[in-house]
Amino acid sequence: MDITLGHYLGLSAIIFGIGAIGFLTRRNILIQLMSIELMLNSVNLTLIAFNRWNPGNHAGQMFAFFVIAVAAAEAAVGLAIVIALYRLKKSVQSDHADSLKH
Amino acid sequence: MIPAWLYYGSPLVWLIFAGLALMMADAFYPVTPEPISTPAQRQRRPELAMITTVILVVAGSLSFALWFAGVPDHAPRLFGNYLAVDHLSLVMDIVIVAGAVFSVLLAGGYLHEHEIERGEFYPLILFTAFGAMILARATDLLSIFIGLETMSLGVYTLVAFRRTSPRSAEGALKYFLLGSFAAAILLFGSALLYGATGHTDLVGIAEAIKTQHADVMLVIFGLLMVIIGLAFKVSAVPFHMWTPDAYEGAITPVTTFMSVAVKAAAFAVLTRVLVVSFSDPLTSSTATGWPPVLAGLAAVTMLFGNLAAVVQSSVKRMLAYSSIAHAGYILIGLVAAQKIGAVGVSSVLFYLMAYTASNALAFGSLILMGSHGREAVSYEDLAGVGRRHPMAALPFIIAMLSLMGFPPTGGFFAKYYVLSAAVQAGGGMVWLAVLGVLTSVMGAFYYLRVIVYMFMKEPKEGAPIAIPMKSGYVVVALALAAVLVVAMGLVPSYFLHMPLEAAQHLMP
Repeated sequence: MDITLGHYLGLSAIIFGIGAIGFLTRRNILIQLMSIELMLNSVNLTLIAFNRWNPGNHAGQMFAFFVIAVAAAEAAVGLAIVIALYRLKKSVQSDHADSLKH
Repeated sequence: MIPAWLYYGSPLVWLIFAGLALMMADAFYPVTPEPISTPAQRQRRPELAMITTVILVVAGSLSFALWFAGVPDHAPRLFGNYLAVDHLSLVMDIVIVAGAVFSVLLAGGYLHEHEIERGEFYPLILFTAFGAMILARATDLLSIFIGLETMSLGVYTLVAFRRTSPRSAEGALKYFLLGSFAAAILLFGSALLYGATGHTDLVGIAEAIKTQHADVMLVIFGLLMVIIGLAFKVSAVPFHMWTPDAYEGAITPVTTFMSVAVKAAAFAVLTRVLVVSFSDPLTSSTATGWPPVLAGLAAVTMLFGNLAAVVQSSVKRMLAYSSIAHAGYILIGLVAAQKIGAVGVSSVLFYLMAYTASNALAFGSLILMGSHGREAVSYEDLAGVGRRHPMAALPFIIAMLSLMGFPPTGGFFAKYYVLSAAVQAGGGMVWLAVLGVLTSVMGAFYYLRVIVYMFMKEPKEGAPIAIPMKSGYVVVALALAAVLVVAMGLVPSYFLHMPLEAAQHLMP
């Protein structure tokens, strides 16, 4: 069986969906962060697959590199915020962060 | 001869290098020795606010100078095809710089008064403003993503600035989680658009759609996801959940910055993406395109923002919901732009200018009402303050009247231009204008309530009494904002000139 563009897109849509559902349903902030990473990596897969099947330019591959770099920066800031919150609340559950009115 | 990238990129280059220099200078700043000072005193950096203001004013002047030196019609590009130097980006530079100047001046007073002065605040504001300026001139999905993240990462950090406060950390966490989620959605949309058209630059995408080389389903899904991602950033309902918490958790100067500069940059990029890439009938017709989606967003945003603002007991949170409601009015102008072109875009830009001044004035007045250790937050805190300190209450009155849309203030003409753009567009747009007027009336209730509390209520027995702070920085910021708000109300055509020219260059 040949692996086509559709297979890659299907896989990345599934990974994106798992990430989105994980983000929305889990309450542990670290798992929510991991879910966001899953979503970003599914984007990378999509970009590279599209680039492989439309090799007119290399915008897709280049885009993926930038996504990887920015995701790292984002994780650094996110974890710093989680640490700040953990020091104050002794918890990494996002529903324990409820001192502001809803 | 200066190279073209340095000439056209001078505001950006100046801002980033000045920001880095400021960060280094702060690291080597001499601290007062331990025995003669408390930790809070050792942290004091009174001149930093002044230096940062000067840096920002220079950046704004460079943009002004570029505008008056004239930008060629083909809009020069920086760094390949990633950033455009056009009239839109220069107008947005000025709005972003103005927002940053206001929040830096307010911070100069606020951080000192509440003893949370730490040097990293000012470089962070500069880097975030840099990200916002990148975003406003991004002409490629990649540079949009990078600008958006440069801006957002700075703002997440700024919201968490008061790191000993659980509210600050919590606001930052909610903003961060939903912001990254939105960024991931935006990215997936970008990837789909790339797949559909084979291009990541906005002009290339537009060409591919026009010549029907694009996969229609992918384009529509990609566009929808890009709109959702950006709707998070402009806090349009139903993507606004983070807004009240992040605005309330952040220290007030940061809230000012978020509600003006960050929102303005997000609107600029939304305008550019929709107008440059998706003006083809396939993606902009009433049946299949973005206008009905945006019109729906505008309607629920105005309704929900105003309704939720009515029931708040905290003024800061009320202003957060009011900023959601204002995003709805701005979206009206954007929807109208699809039918009437430049006039619609210029109404959006004018709204952003007037809103920047009015909102900075409102948050600045709230900062002014609190003094050492006690911030004014709720309506109760403001009770009777107008009678005790009439001069301190004056900027608050102007701000409320302008946000309400009362003539002769900038807020009135901002609403007027947006709503008349919707009426001019006609057809299915008039109901949006009617809804805009009706919800503005609702807005009058909670804006006037501030004035009622300041002048017609007395603080409860035993309740602490708000004392306005004394700070030259805050007074300067308020005076500047008040003059701008009133000037925009008295001579709006003068201020409309630049937005109109920018809009005409964007969509000839």
